[in-house]
Amino acid sequence: MTAPADADAGLPEPVPSRVGVSQPVPLGGSPQPHVPVGTGETENLRGQHAGFASRFIAFIVDCAVSIGVFMLVLGAASFAASVLTGTSIHWSRANTWVVVAFFAWEFFYYAYFWTASGKTPGMVLLGVQVVGQDGTSVGTKRGLLRTLAFPLSFLLLGLGFLGILLGRDRRALHDVIADTAVVYCWDAREARLRSLAREGGNRQP
Amino acid sequence: MYPGDGVRRSAARRVTEQVESIAQGVAQRVIDLVVESLDMNALIAKIDLNVVLGRVDLNEVVDRIDLNQIVDQLDVNRLMARVDINQIVSQIDIEALVKNTDLGAIMVSSSSSLATEAVDQGRSHAVSMDDTLARWVSRIRRNRVGRAEPPELPNTPEEP
Repeated sequence: MTAPADADAGLPEPVPSRVGVSQPVPLGGSPQPHVPVGTGETENLRGQHAGFASRFIAFIVDCAVSIGVFMLVLGAASFAASVLTGTSIHWSRANTWVVVAFFAWEFFYYAYFWTASGKTPGMVLLGVQVVGQDGTSVGTKRGLLRTLAFPLSFLLLGLGFLGILLGRDRRALHDVIADTAVVYCWDAREARLRSLAREGGNRQP
Repeated sequence: MYPGDGVRRSAARRVTEQVESIAQGVAQRVIDLVVESLDMNALIAKIDLNVVLGRVDLNEVVDRIDLNQIVDQLDVNRLMARVDINQIVSQIDIEALVKNTDLGAIMVSSSSSLATEAVDQGRSHAVSMDDTLARWVSRIRRNRVGRAEPPELPNTPEEP
């Protein structure tokens, strides 16, 4: 992965303080791995409301993971059936049971991860986490409610996600319903130190 | 000066020398007897070393020592040749060391892999995009909407 093209050619202007998130800049103005740092000193993003891009990418990763696992399970079931009974099963999207199983699996996937830790695998990768609006753990009740309300944001032609872009605290419709928020949970300062350590390690003969 | 003065002086000198010799012999013998009769262990036991050390100004002693001179006189290679490193290392409780110090964290961080680097970069780019989007929205809305205070995170371990 390389730094974006605009990283070298002048930095974006500092983010207004009201936006509330730090401004990533490349390290040393060179095409090195860049980690978010503040305009003055490196800021820790931990606890700040996560933005649309981080959440969307995390969702895409979760889709890939959950659908991939579902397909694997279907494939394994088909293989097991062909070995045991000698007849192969061809799964179809038109099959009601497949559709029901898919939605049940998706519900389980999100409900389990959100209630257990507030983080799905995609969210872990992107360093974001679901917490209660008061900052406490999501818990079972809010996790299940969020999972149930999640499809609503899609069903309203995606308007449920507008809150992430336009709202003060970047909450989608399902966040408002479940009284949750999504925040960054990775330490940008540590990432910067790691980057500097790698840089120093690479310089050594 | 009387004629018998020289004889008298000579006799007095001889007597004095003999007396001094006898006195020295007696003193030597007395010292030997005293030293022999002394119980050094009992004497040392009576000495309060703390009091003695309390009177010693160690800083002054250390100031007087020229460490550079001492170090210059040391043959480090010879010294190191005598040290059995394997024995020292075998006596170290590595597990306790890792458990009780930041050594484990240092080892983990120093062995951060390419995967960690890629994750850091990915997250960084995502945050960059978040900021860009937030700036666009902020311009479109002419900064009418501020950001809410972030919530306090629960006490969960941080992501690497």
